[in-house]
Amino acid sequence: MLVEQASTGSGASGQNAGSLHFQIERRFLERKGGLGLEGEQTATLSRIAIDDWSTLEDRLGVSLHVHMNGGLMVAENADQVAILKAKADRERAMGLSVETIDGAEARRRAPYLSEGIVAANFMAAEGHADTRKIAPAFATAATAAGAEIQIRTRLTKLEWQGASFRAEIIGSEGAFTVGAKKVLVAAGVWSARIAAMANLHLPLFPVGLTMSASERTPHFLPHLVQHVAQRLSMKQTEAGNILIGGGWPSRLHRVDGIFDLSRPAELIIQSLRNNLSVATKTVPRVADLNLIRTWTGVTAVTPDQLPIAGEFPTMPGLFCAAGGSAFTLGPTFARLVADQMLERERDEADRLLAVASPARFDSLNGFMGR
Amino acid sequence: MTNSIHHYDVAIIGGGPAGQAAALVLDQNGARIAVIDEQQRPGGQILRQPPQEFAMAQSMKGKSYTSLKSQLRAFEALNRCDWIGGKSVIGIDRSGGTVDLTLASGDGITQVSANRLLIASGCYDLPIPIPGWTLPGAMGAGGLQALVKAQAVVPDGRVLLAGTHPLMLIVATQVIAAGGTVAEVAFDQRQSFLARLLIKGAGTALRNFGLMLDAASAWATLRRAGVPVTFGQRLSVIEGLNRVSSARIGKRTVHCDAVGLCYGFLPQSDLPRLAGLSVRWAQPTGGWAAEHDGWMRSSVSQIFVAGETSGVAGAPAALLEGQIAGAGIALDLGLIPMDEAEAIRRDAARKQIRVSRFAALLDRIADPTSALTALRDANTILCRCEDVTIGAVETALIQDSDPNSVKLVTRCGMGTCQGRGCEHMLLRLAAHKRGVGPNELRGFTSRFPVRPTRIGDLIG
Amino acid sequence: MRSQADITRGMPVTIEVDGQMIDSFSGETLLAALVAAGHMRLRNDQEGQPRGFWCNMGTCSECFVSRLDVTPVRRIRACLITVEDGMRIATRSISYD
Ligand SMILES: Cc1cc2nc3c(=O)[nH]c(=O)nc-3n(C[C@H](O)[C@H](O)[C@H](O)COP(=O)(O)OP(=O)(O)OC[C@H]3O[C@@H](n4cnc5c(N)ncnc54)[C@H](O)[C@@H]3O)c2cc1C
Ligand SMILES: Cc1cc2nc3c(=O)[nH]c(=O)nc-3n(C[C@H](O)[C@H](O)[C@H](O)COP(=O)(O)OP(=O)(O)OC[C@H]3O[C@@H](n4cnc5c(N)ncnc54)[C@H](O)[C@@H]3O)c2cc1C
Ligand code: FES
Repeated sequence: MLVEQASTGSGASGQNAGSLHFQIERRFLERKGGLGLEGEQTATLSRIAIDDWSTLEDRLGVSLHVHMNGGLMVAENADQVAILKAKADRERAMGLSVETIDGAEARRRAPYLSEGIVAANFMAAEGHADTRKIAPAFATAATAAGAEIQIRTRLTKLEWQGASFRAEIIGSEGAFTVGAKKVLVAAGVWSARIAAMANLHLPLFPVGLTMSASERTPHFLPHLVQHVAQRLSMKQTEAGNILIGGGWPSRLHRVDGIFDLSRPAELIIQSLRNNLSVATKTVPRVADLNLIRTWTGVTAVTPDQLPIAGEFPTMPGLFCAAGGSAFTLGPTFARLVADQMLERERDEADRLLAVASPARFDSLNGFMGR
Repeated sequence: MTNSIHHYDVAIIGGGPAGQAAALVLDQNGARIAVIDEQQRPGGQILRQPPQEFAMAQSMKGKSYTSLKSQLRAFEALNRCDWIGGKSVIGIDRSGGTVDLTLASGDGITQVSANRLLIASGCYDLPIPIPGWTLPGAMGAGGLQALVKAQAVVPDGRVLLAGTHPLMLIVATQVIAAGGTVAEVAFDQRQSFLARLLIKGAGTALRNFGLMLDAASAWATLRRAGVPVTFGQRLSVIEGLNRVSSARIGKRTVHCDAVGLCYGFLPQSDLPRLAGLSVRWAQPTGGWAAEHDGWMRSSVSQIFVAGETSGVAGAPAALLEGQIAGAGIALDLGLIPMDEAEAIRRDAARKQIRVSRFAALLDRIADPTSALTALRDANTILCRCEDVTIGAVETALIQDSDPNSVKLVTRCGMGTCQGRGCEHMLLRLAAHKRGVGPNELRGFTSRFPVRPTRIGDLIG
Repeated sequence: MRSQADITRGMPVTIEVDGQMIDSFSGETLLAALVAAGHMRLRNDQEGQPRGFWCNMGTCSECFVSRLDVTPVRRIRACLITVEDGMRIATRSISYD
């Protein structure tokens, strides 16, 4: 049984940018101490995710507007080009196919790019998909496969009772309890609160982000566009809107020193203005389009920016899949965590998810879990 | 985006009867005010003025316009109050301690900051998704009226007025006065239903003599012009190839070149909801009305509401609420002693009793619910921006009856109008599906910018 | 159709709409000029079906047209903008294929 307090796709999964980014993310480049072994392991997951996304529409049997026409991460000066080159070298070493092209070649492939772009890293597998479609498609497929999905149904209590978990749930028809041998916490930014129900710490922190959509315009931007030194993601939806994002903050509401996740985060106008500036500097023609909507969404980050996926060592039977870029990597996490929960090729799943295992935060739970 | 920010004691959004009334009270008490409106000139919807370049014989003759017109003249004579016309307010931000507004126009973006904000942004024609309503020539009756009275332009050919709201009698006479041709005024309700309500509410109707007289004289004018006024025959389809050419009314086909649809009005709720104001579902016409206390204070500090923003009740009610809001804001800013503010409020509140009874009567008369229910056609476009049909919405509702989930799945409400056109009907359909009232559902989230804005204007 | 009842309009101006010259008067809204010229179809929907204006007050977005005589080009609501001599407008400028 899957319980969802609102509707499927009502959380970050229905609010995100829909980028399928497989290059090393800009936010990892910002990290002190670089990437290390974790980088290699994330790249492995990315390679699997590329396969997952290429076949997802076939497997779910519906169009998800998946477009993998390539992604460009652009640079505007020599310093940025140096970062691009070093990054591409690393990525190739990890088995990701990334090439650095100069400005002229970038504009040949992507004529909409500004003259100010002097180089870009191109990765053919990158692209985007329609966020509106993914969660409902998975829900339909899961139901068809026999899963029971209850929407507007909220988990309120979760306890380990020696042999199994006991979950208290409130649905539209009233409250009920469910016993389960295994539980997966995949509640996005709310996951830390679910973990707390089971008396566990889960270091997952909410962050508010900003996304914008232009009015529809004839298709001209087939790629995913990112910037190596500035927060930017751009793409054009099937309907023709240009989506602009890239990690510009919005402001979370707070009540008594606690972040209020029940309300949409507040727009920070300056964030939006900066985001639009980077966008128009990179793709000048979007300046002439009308902005029809800016929205805020809340997602979850961890102290090391990596996702959390796997079983809690302090509480066997309890699994988690949350944090990180879980649009791009979500289907892959889901498959691997399911393998773990079903003890299906468990060793392989454990190995692949090692980088994301909750075990790395186990020290937080030394006093918890009982 | 310019960085010079103009600061005021009070910013008022909307230069209609409500906004003007508040401005007059505030100006008298020494407040520095800016009144911002998308329209070039003050007046609001009811007194939408012709451009300065035009010289037009008095177009708004009815008795009910007299006090509104004298207020407008007084407002235009204010010399300390800044009129900011032709600019749309697209955002409200309170994070800096003041209320900061972002304004957009063809000249780019400007900013206005104030200690208090009054939202008096009025209402708009109820978008009524009946077959053919997307054809060129089919329009809101208020929109048609504004074309006639402020621009002296009438659509070519025969104009049909259809709906439930008596305002269409007045619009029809205005079309005729401007030299246009009215094919018919078709009331959806049966005449006996109207008569019953009018007799029951006779006292109320009589006490609002001006308005009733306008309606009665409109009816007489139409008679004289040989325009049929019909009752109880429902407009069911608007037909045409490249534009409207006919309409089905009851079993008849009426040839016409334009249709003004008049089923009532919805409060403009985008700015109130963007700013986080508590709102309630406005029965029976729909939409979201901002909640307020006896001083027209909204649920959010520093922000007041007046006029149709707090529920559609007509121009006289809007004017009175504007006066109360003006007094309330002056009181809040310490510009006026309590007893003076209280005197203004008491006077307005006394008059409110009469006009609000009339508004309630009009609500009952013009209730669009049965028309909306009967005209539900699966192939008709509900969301005009994204071309989503009623049928597509109904299908999505089977999966999940949450309006916001239907929006995600169908794109209904995701277009350039931000859902102003379709939200009310989506909520009605969802409420019906779930067996609750629309007030129990969560509507769309209002987002910046509440009017489409050129991206290049916003950068920096 | 322009009403002739007791009205003096502003100075005559000429605007270009989809390559056609249209007479208008200073002070008129672009939408009024279009309606007076019988130009009711302002865009096509995704199925190619014709659309016209709906609200005439800035809320429905049906009257968006492109203004070409200014740099940069602007997408504007015809019902809120006042005509100017030499204004060049393209309707239906967004096409879906
Ligand atoms: C603006 C924005 C842009 C982003 N862009 C990208 C991108 O381009 N690419 C990318 O890979 N990632 C992106 N992300 C991140 C990505 O969206 C998330 O990582 C991903 O959607 C998380 O999915 P999830 O299923 O874990 O969480 P969610 O989609 O948030 O789902 C969690 C669900 O749990 C439910 N829930 C919570 N508590 C309870 C309870 N007690 N009982 C029952 N149900 C409960 C919630 O209602 C919610 O529906 C972005 C995020 C945001 C906000
Ligand atoms: C088209 C139309 C025609 C009408 N005709 C009549 C009539 O003939 N008789 C009658 O009794 N009632 C009529 N009504 C009802 C009418 O709204 C009220 O009677 C009266 O005008 C309400 O006054 P108000 O001050 O509340 O709002 P309004 O008079 O509507 O004034 C609100 C003003 O706010 C402005 N505004 C709204 N949003 C923004 C924004 N985001 N930025 C900047 N400005 C904004 C609008 O341009 C408008 O001028 C009409 C309504 C409409 C919509
Ligand atoms: S006609 Fe509705 S916005 Fe202009």
